[in-house]
Amino acid sequence: MFNYTFHWNQAFKALPQMLDGAVVTLQIALLSMAIGLACAIALTLFRLSGNRILGGFATAWVEVARNTPALFQIYMAHFGLGNFGIHLSPYVALLAGIAFNNAGYLAENFRGALKAIPDTQTRSARSLGMTSMQAFGYIVLPQMLRIAFLPATNQMIWAILMTSLGVTVGMNTDLAGVTQALNAVSFRTFEFFALAAVIYYVIAKIVTLAARLFAARMFRY
Amino acid sequence: MKNSTVFAFGLAAALATTGPAFADKLDDIIASGTLRCAVVLDFPPMGARDENNNAIGFDVDYCNDLAAALGVTAEIVETPFPERIPALMSGRVDVGVASTSDTLERAKTVGMSIPYFAFEMAVTANEQSGIKSFEDMKGKTVGATAGTFEAIALEKQVKEWGEGEFRPYQTQADVFLALSQGQIDATVSTSTVAQSNVKSGKFSGISVVGKAPFDIDYVALFANREEYGLLNYLNLFVNQQVRTGRYAELYEKWVGGELPDLTISGVYR
Repeated sequence: MFNYTFHWNQAFKALPQMLDGAVVTLQIALLSMAIGLACAIALTLFRLSGNRILGGFATAWVEVARNTPALFQIYMAHFGLGNFGIHLSPYVALLAGIAFNNAGYLAENFRGALKAIPDTQTRSARSLGMTSMQAFGYIVLPQMLRIAFLPATNQMIWAILMTSLGVTVGMNTDLAGVTQALNAVSFRTFEFFALAAVIYYVIAKIVTLAARLFAARMFRY
Repeated sequence: MKNSTVFAFGLAAALATTGPAFADKLDDIIASGTLRCAVVLDFPPMGARDENNNAIGFDVDYCNDLAAALGVTAEIVETPFPERIPALMSGRVDVGVASTSDTLERAKTVGMSIPYFAFEMAVTANEQSGIKSFEDMKGKTVGATAGTFEAIALEKQVKEWGEGEFRPYQTQADVFLALSQGQIDATVSTSTVAQSNVKSGKFSGISVVGKAPFDIDYVALFANREEYGLLNYLNLFVNQQVRTGRYAELYEKWVGGELPDLTISGVYR
């Protein structure tokens, strides 16, 4: 039933535009990871702090981020906040939505990693005269980041793919947005989407390989 | 004598083997008893849903008329704007009655009938933006529904102006939500959609401020490009709708006002 003749040359003509879009996609993913990591470390500290309010805040964040669709989170960042007169541009709304999501998942990664580090290490560090912050910063945190590193690369891939949800809030400069616009003009849906899929695949593959190389260099025993 | 027997056999064999291949889309539709139409139900008054979630609108009635003419039952398949073509290509629908602008670029992909409706474009602005005309949109943040004629034209215009920002939203409802919230300052949409949304009262603080100087947006029915039998039928159907006054009747029912002319003077289609 599939009745379609492919016009690949038309799609390849648009390749430079799509690659420009891919750069924006990668940029958003990297920024969202950086922000997400910082927030996740803060959330982990909040949870460890024993403070009820901070701990509750962290738990609420993680619960919402992990148990609602990313689409909803991004939509809310744009239209939800817009209802209260806070206007985030599509770029910022997309970035905020993904960073929020990343932070939630990464905080859970960190929690798992922390469980893999025996308590005795903290106690030894404390008995050597370190303050609790020093013990966390010098002993626990580096190990936690090392254990959580490869799971976190998963989140990075996820972040790259999630950027495609930006089209729901009017994003038109990332790879998905550019692809949609090209499709609207020419109706060559299958060529453009196939090409976009290949570009997403290549980006994700490169990021995975880079992360493996980085891990192999940084985490040698 | 012998020759003619061979010829008769040959003819019979040829008919037997090639016969089924002549059944085209039009035959398939009539044989199946169902006409599946791609209709956008987020585009009042052309396509929408009533309180009971039933599909209603100009395009829905048009599809029903077409099915009645073919002597089959109509099945409305809801397709958002960007999914009209994939739905056709993957065989989920037979024909599109989806307010599709008949651009030359798109005609490379699908077959278009003669125009069955025509839109004029209007500018709707957020009242706080101070926009009073099309020209005032220069340098502002504007938006439209992704994949529509007006979105393509407006994006081109923003690029030409060299300032301001264009945002494509996935649905008409999102555009008017963003406009009402002030996320965008103005939008260009078909005047029918603009009037219908402003009147609906669902979106506060917006008003139609004028016409957009884009070409008249003629929209066509579409089907697979090589289905000439079906396309020929669609052309005649559109012609008959106008001839019998049904087009005027449907226009009065769903839109009202001055009936848009579907012909262009000085040239044949």
